[in-house]
Amino acid sequence: MERQGGSIGLALAAFALLGGNAFALDWPLAPPRIAATFGTFAKGRVITGAALSADDGIVRAAEDGEVSFSLDEGMNPSGLPTPLGSFIVLEHQKGMAAVYSHLAPDSRPTTGLVKVNGGDMLGKSGSSGWIEGPGLVFQVFDRRADSWVNPLLVLPPLVIDKPPVIRSLALSRADRVYTLGETASLPQGTYRVSVDVADLGDATWTMGPLAPYSIRLAIDGDEAVNLVFDVAKGVGGRLMFFSGNPIPAGDLKTKEGRYFLTERLFPRGRTSIEVHVEDAAGNKRSASWSVLVE
Amino acid sequence: MEETGKRRLSVAGIVVAGIAYFLVSAFPLQKELVLAPGWMRSLAQAPAGPIAQLATAKKGGAGPAQSAPIPFRLGNRYGYFTAEGSILFAGTASYGVALAPDAFATYDRLSEGFTVFSPDGTATSRVSFVGYPFFAAGRRFAISPDQATVAELSKSGAIAWTYQFGSIVTAFDASPSIAVFGLMDGRIVGLDPSGSVLLDFAPGGSRIAGVYGVAASPDGLLVAAITGLDRQRLVVMEKRSSAYRVAYHRYLSSDYRRPVYIAFTPDGNRLAYESPSGVGVYDRSSRGETAISVPATSRLGLTTMNGKLMVLLSGNGDEKRLVCAARPDRRVVDLVLKAQLAFVETRGDSIYLGIDDDIVRMDLRER
Repeated sequence: MERQGGSIGLALAAFALLGGNAFALDWPLAPPRIAATFGTFAKGRVITGAALSADDGIVRAAEDGEVSFSLDEGMNPSGLPTPLGSFIVLEHQKGMAAVYSHLAPDSRPTTGLVKVNGGDMLGKSGSSGWIEGPGLVFQVFDRRADSWVNPLLVLPPLVIDKPPVIRSLALSRADRVYTLGETASLPQGTYRVSVDVADLGDATWTMGPLAPYSIRLAIDGDEAVNLVFDVAKGVGGRLMFFSGNPIPAGDLKTKEGRYFLTERLFPRGRTSIEVHVEDAAGNKRSASWSVLVE
Repeated sequence: MEETGKRRLSVAGIVVAGIAYFLVSAFPLQKELVLAPGWMRSLAQAPAGPIAQLATAKKGGAGPAQSAPIPFRLGNRYGYFTAEGSILFAGTASYGVALAPDAFATYDRLSEGFTVFSPDGTATSRVSFVGYPFFAAGRRFAISPDQATVAELSKSGAIAWTYQFGSIVTAFDASPSIAVFGLMDGRIVGLDPSGSVLLDFAPGGSRIAGVYGVAASPDGLLVAAITGLDRQRLVVMEKRSSAYRVAYHRYLSSDYRRPVYIAFTPDGNRLAYESPSGVGVYDRSSRGETAISVPATSRLGLTTMNGKLMVLLSGNGDEKRLVCAARPDRRVVDLVLKAQLAFVETRGDSIYLGIDDDIVRMDLRER
């Protein structure tokens, strides 16, 4: 039941993005085994797509489309390296462009490919370029909004029944970090609230702890933050995540690796804190803490 | 061995044919131009790494003073040679190499850092950066695994600045004053040496936005790009006062959906770009265009010889073509080369041609 509820939420978000065509795309690689989700911190980058693990899998067009760019690994005549390896950009409907990267070299059926039908083979999953394991990184770019879109908003729902994990919640100020559960009380003051959350995929390798789809924080029953990993956009030389209250990618996590949620004054008295996390498959996990502020 | 012998014979034949061509068929310019043979060296006999060369030099065995090293790359082989004909070394990169006249750095597929060496093999800096390095215009850059964040590196290996783009970088060129990046979303962004934005422009005018090639003139005053699909455009921007403005544009007949070679000649007077019929040439002073008709497509090298000749190497597969033209409509050399790998470089009045396992020098003479 929870999963259905989550899927409805995702569908509504996709519906808004695509003007009525929720789940407009098909999985480019089946079965989808998630090695990184939108917002996953991996070496040297924050993922703005979905990484799917597969060894020698057939990569197919997620929808009818038109090739707008393709490149074989290391073949840019400008001397620019190609960390995405061999990749193809397809123009899909409603201004959506999809990037299919890290394909196996020379696995494209034809080099002159222009128009493709949904389901047509684009190549084979591979490990060309900078990728931790064999697979495909699939990114969706909304040309109208000039931003990356979480592909899981426009792909069929994942079928994974493992809910995300909430490892800890911390309140920090200056150089003190109070991990709730270990700390029952703390002095009054302004604290940065951060949470250690990880989603669980079913891939044979991952780029890093998977980002959930959303993290909601409630303090004393009031919603304080609702982070939804929906879009990312480049602004002034920085990549900003979230459509509401954008946050630079570099500020998404603390140096300890927790997702930064908010900075807030905690007055004296007992405070209840709840965290609700949902993954891309609609699985949910909640945790709550009670802390005495002195 | 037999194959190598045939290739060397082929290279020698090319040199002789080139000389004969000049002697028999060259267009007489104001003075007659001839290409005189210089030397030919085999990479197979070169040291495999710069350390060997350095050790030789330290023992005093380096011989007479040599001119500045000239970098080369033939497939995954790379190294340096001198105008006098010494191959300083010919290394093999396991995955990639960033190469410049004053430095090189090899890197692995999952590079989390790399060491920058001078051509003699001295390690000059260690860079901690997840991604791949690339060098241009005396500057050093690196790009992240998602191909969307670039950094400029100082000579000491420190990261001077980083810039996160909102889409994938598809094209690049640099001059000492501007680094130009073309993006999948159709934007052209130029950054100054401190990482500040000098230019941020989306040409538009096409059904699908995209940037397939960018070029910066050596003085940084011109930026050119091949952009868009249906229709594809050539856009040339010129810096006037502090802003870049479109100085020239033209819709092209091309429909490239892959990176396209576009580059200014080293003197900055001409811009050459790949086109279906050959190479389009934009003249900076006249703001007009001409074309050099060559049947092969991908351009592999473009340079000039002391402003006298435009030297072009193009080709696909195992057939390459070397064209030297006094003007776009007057070619004085047109040679077909049988080679899988090739490069062309010029220094002064000399052409250095790489053909598979050999490097050849030819000198331009007036008489």
